[in-house]
Amino acid sequence: MGKLWSLFFVFSAVIAVALCWFAPDWNWWFPGDGKAHSTLGGKIDDLFHLILIIVAVTFIGTQAALGYVLWRGATIKPEEKALFSHGSHSLEVIWTIVPSAVLLFIALYQLDVWAQFRIKGAIRDSHGKMVRPEPVAELTARQFEWRIRYPAKGKPLQPQPQPDDIYSVNELHIPSGRPVEVTLRTDDVQHAIFIPELRIKQDAVASLKIPVWFDALENRDYEMLCAELCGWGHYKMKAKVVARSDADFDAWKEQASAEQFDDGFRKPAEAK
Amino acid sequence: MMFRHSSNHRSVTTAPWQLVCGLALGIASGLAGCGTGPKAEFSYREATQKLIPVARKAIKDTLEDGFGTPHNLVAWERFPVAYGGAKASVVAAAEGVQPASKTISVSVEGDVSKLASGASVLWLTGTRAGEKAAADTVDTYDTKTKTLTWSGSAEPAPGVGDVLIVGFGHALQKGRAVYMKNCMHCHGVSGDGNGSTAQFLNPRPRDYRLGVFKFTSTLSAEKVSRDDLHRVVKYGIPGTYMPSFLLLGEEETKSVVEYVRWLAMRGEFEKRTDDDLGDFTEDSIVDTVKKSKTAFDAAKVAYDATLKAGDKDAVKPDAPIKLTDARKIATEAFAKFQASDLDQAVEDTASFLAEAWTRADDEASRIAPTVPRVADDAASRERGRLLYMSDKTKCYTCHGLLGKGNGAATEDFWKKPGTEELYPRRGLHDAWGNPLQPRNLTLGQYRGGRRPVDVFRRLYAGIKGTPMPGFGKTALKDEEIWDIVNFVMSLQYQSPQPAKTNAGGHVVATDMPEAK
Repeated sequence: MGKLWSLFFVFSAVIAVALCWFAPDWNWWFPGDGKAHSTLGGKIDDLFHLILIIVAVTFIGTQAALGYVLWRGATIKPEEKALFSHGSHSLEVIWTIVPSAVLLFIALYQLDVWAQFRIKGAIRDSHGKMVRPEPVAELTARQFEWRIRYPAKGKPLQPQPQPDDIYSVNELHIPSGRPVEVTLRTDDVQHAIFIPELRIKQDAVASLKIPVWFDALENRDYEMLCAELCGWGHYKMKAKVVARSDADFDAWKEQASAEQFDDGFRKPAEAK
Repeated sequence: MMFRHSSNHRSVTTAPWQLVCGLALGIASGLAGCGTGPKAEFSYREATQKLIPVARKAIKDTLEDGFGTPHNLVAWERFPVAYGGAKASVVAAAEGVQPASKTISVSVEGDVSKLASGASVLWLTGTRAGEKAAADTVDTYDTKTKTLTWSGSAEPAPGVGDVLIVGFGHALQKGRAVYMKNCMHCHGVSGDGNGSTAQFLNPRPRDYRLGVFKFTSTLSAEKVSRDDLHRVVKYGIPGTYMPSFLLLGEEETKSVVEYVRWLAMRGEFEKRTDDDLGDFTEDSIVDTVKKSKTAFDAAKVAYDATLKAGDKDAVKPDAPIKLTDARKIATEAFAKFQASDLDQAVEDTASFLAEAWTRADDEASRIAPTVPRVADDAASRERGRLLYMSDKTKCYTCHGLLGKGNGAATEDFWKKPGTEELYPRRGLHDAWGNPLQPRNLTLGQYRGGRRPVDVFRRLYAGIKGTPMPGFGKTALKDEEIWDIVNFVMSLQYQSPQPAKTNAGGHVVATDMPEAK
């Protein structure tokens, strides 16, 4: 029985590693085409892979040790004496210092990515210039949809609604290829914006306006979801991010504005 | 493809039942979900439940014949619903049509993929027309030779030029699947606004069964148009729990709009038939008995008095009707009504609804401003403000002096429509009997859409099912409506000095000369 258990633990580890190895081929890995489509997303993926490697080495090592110990225990001869290692000071020191060092390394190594995600948009660079990206939209989550407010073409986003603001619902339009800021709010409970392919996830908290900084590298649509269970209609908060070149983004604004300010009057000749 | 079938080619003498085509269905896996929940059922109105048993049964049978059940939808052709399917006609010459092999050459309009094996075949014209639709299905369809083989009876053979629909009801079934997945838990299986989550929502989800929808682009007497429902599904209604279903996809949105229209027609059909049968309720029988008893008691008193006075010729009053007798009489009266008039009543209701819902999509029913928006300047807004405060529109009585939706009318007790009874709580109520808050115009939240034309239409035709009246054509000129639109839409961006008001929103006079 002991042998069976040792084999079980070794083989389950082998299967887990094999599954992870082939997962990307079966589309069991990152969403979409598996690539990050934002600048920061690539770095987040690198961090993920680094941590994955560290964890994988640890996992394989501990499973191998576990298998070995179980096998030894199962095959030990009655007359053989077990090794008593409890209270070994050296071992205790090793398995305290090594994981601490690894964790400290990860903590320090990821600082830059975290800073870029959460802090760098709000500080000055070495030339004393604000690097905060331009706010393009105010994204308000509510049960169960996303309502979005944009400034008119060529104008900055104001904290309060303006008469020429443009509105959309469940479709977040942004210019692609450069960092943008989206102000995240919620009308009711806690929601979270999640754009898997851009590796962006941020909670929306009642009474807070949270700036979210990101860029989209390509001109295409990205899936956007709510990542915080916000009520029975949580699954309905499916939306998309429409990233377009500056020219197309402006063209969309013009078109959306024309539709929004439509007075319904058609000259007889134009009428259908 | 969409197919709207006009019933022209049917003779008017045909009973409505024969126009009805059953669409048998297995329980779609989408309906079943995880485990098997309770079976979906169309509920009936309270008014239907109050009818005497025979009348109730007649209505339920009529509804089931005409509309079916959620698991077995029936597409009643005469209603203007795009039930879906591909229209085809028999093109082959006589020798091409082989009755024994049940094979015909057809030309198909629209989506050929609907001709998949197993799709239902409905004959609209020719010798096979009037056959039960469920009987015929597509056996095979050869896309190259354009020949269709059906399974079902071989006789009578169809002739050249006969029109058939393949996959009839496809869109309605699709609409039902979309509805059951996305809408049912608030709006209910029957569209009665009473789904399982409805009780937690304020405002309540729409009950379609009055056939009334609030935010429309149509004239006040008209139904909602397909475009209006399409917009609501796509963009939601801000300020309510109706969310946007923008990413649903065009085909799904279209089919769910058809399904909602169909549910509304079913509901209104039931309501109107209930109204026709208003005399056959349990309540009215009890009422008759009560009245008869009162009349008898009064007559008895008079009779006793005359007896006492010594009048020997006084006529003894008849005994009052017993409840069982009254029931019997009502049941017999209904049997008579059912034999003579019910079919006609159903026919009238169906044609009324069919016409109303067809008209809703007419260009003539849509409100289009005759003049472009008046320039949104201070002068126009001021004219709008004066109109808002005028007795011509009386906007302020509900929406308040500052547009905050707290006008004096919200403090009054209002009568229930058609009765002398008051609502138990203060304020306005809608046609569904729910309390209704006049819109706070300073929030910049536009339930029916924020385009100027949307606000214009709200003012022109009012909001259906609510006390919001329409001012178009009669009270106000289009230019004046635009002035009010400009004023109302500017309210969000102003922070006027609040006037001194008491709790009821009535103005406390601030500029009256002081008493000496």
